[in-house]
Amino acid sequence: MAKKISVGIADMKIARQEGELITYALGSCIGISFYDPMIKLGALLHIMLPEKSASDNNILKYADSGIRETLRKLYAFGAGKGRLVIKIAGGAKMFEMKGPGGLGNIGERNAQNVKRILMMEGLRVSAEDTGANYARTMSLDVATGQVCVRTAGKPERKL
Amino acid sequence: MAIKKYEEMNALELDILKEIGSIGGGNAATALSSMMNAKVMMSLPRAEILEFNEAIEKMGDPENVVAAIFVEMSGEIQGIMLFIVPQSFSDDILFRMLGKTGAELLELEEIDTSVLTEIGNIVISSYVTALSSLTNVEVELSVPQFTVNMLGGILSVPMAMVGQHSDRIMMVTGDFKIDEKALHSSMLLLPDVESLNILMKKLGVS
Repeated sequence: MAKKISVGIADMKIARQEGELITYALGSCIGISFYDPMIKLGALLHIMLPEKSASDNNILKYADSGIRETLRKLYAFGAGKGRLVIKIAGGAKMFEMKGPGGLGNIGERNAQNVKRILMMEGLRVSAEDTGANYARTMSLDVATGQVCVRTAGKPERKL
Repeated sequence: MAIKKYEEMNALELDILKEIGSIGGGNAATALSSMMNAKVMMSLPRAEILEFNEAIEKMGDPENVVAAIFVEMSGEIQGIMLFIVPQSFSDDILFRMLGKTGAELLELEEIDTSVLTEIGNIVISSYVTALSSLTNVEVELSVPQFTVNMLGGILSVPMAMVGQHSDRIMMVTGDFKIDEKALHSSMLLLPDVESLNILMKKLGVS
């Protein structure tokens, strides 16, 4: 059994060679896995909102600042930009709601912004499981690069 | 004193929220009691300001599958009310109301979900009615929504609501007890920060 490394909300962890990075019960949040298969370097980021507000210093909470920080670290650890395999999961709409400031479709906006930021960084998403109305747990096995998503009441899916 | 973040609340203000929770919860327990023809009690409420991951940890395993009834508050108070129903509570309710046993949350029939939604609706609206008459604020409630999902995913909704301004969530929680049997189910009052200021002002605290 690979060692499980839990990634919280507004959190990111990096592992090399072995270990399973896992983030639990993504609702409207998005889990973003990064993997360089050549050097077996992986990261899992759990963001909550699409764009950082100027007054907030919690960079891992947001798609834009979170992705840039993760990439900065990964490149520092020797990840090759051209080799990075990126997968995303989450972005569900748990409830129909009006909410202030477009909270109702926050999951969708998260997903769109994650892809937009990645594109700006010259990267693309190779697989995704986003949207719908249920929570997801996402894991990345750093030894193999395998990403799995599980949902209550359904068998685990490989992404 | 107007606050900008939950963590700026002082002990007195938290105590007042507990009191609101206690009155709201008491009212909700009475409504539940007459509907189910059973003795329903509510535990002493807690008012807590917790970091996101801490809040989920406190509520249980994030992957735990629970039912939730969700109502949006608007008007003078903005925020979310959540009534969280774990399997054991659902079993008890469905047995009392429909005589059913062994209905898995993930395989509920339409009649089951409408009973649970209705229970949630009554609990939430009697809670909010008490809150609104106590503080003299107008609160409008959305149509209740029902979901069965992982606990963590459900709690991410109120967190996303406050996330742009805070890394913490303020929740007023309470547990119900039916016929002396401690059946865990939670009522969560999750107002946004501006609404808290309004509440405090109406109660003459600020």
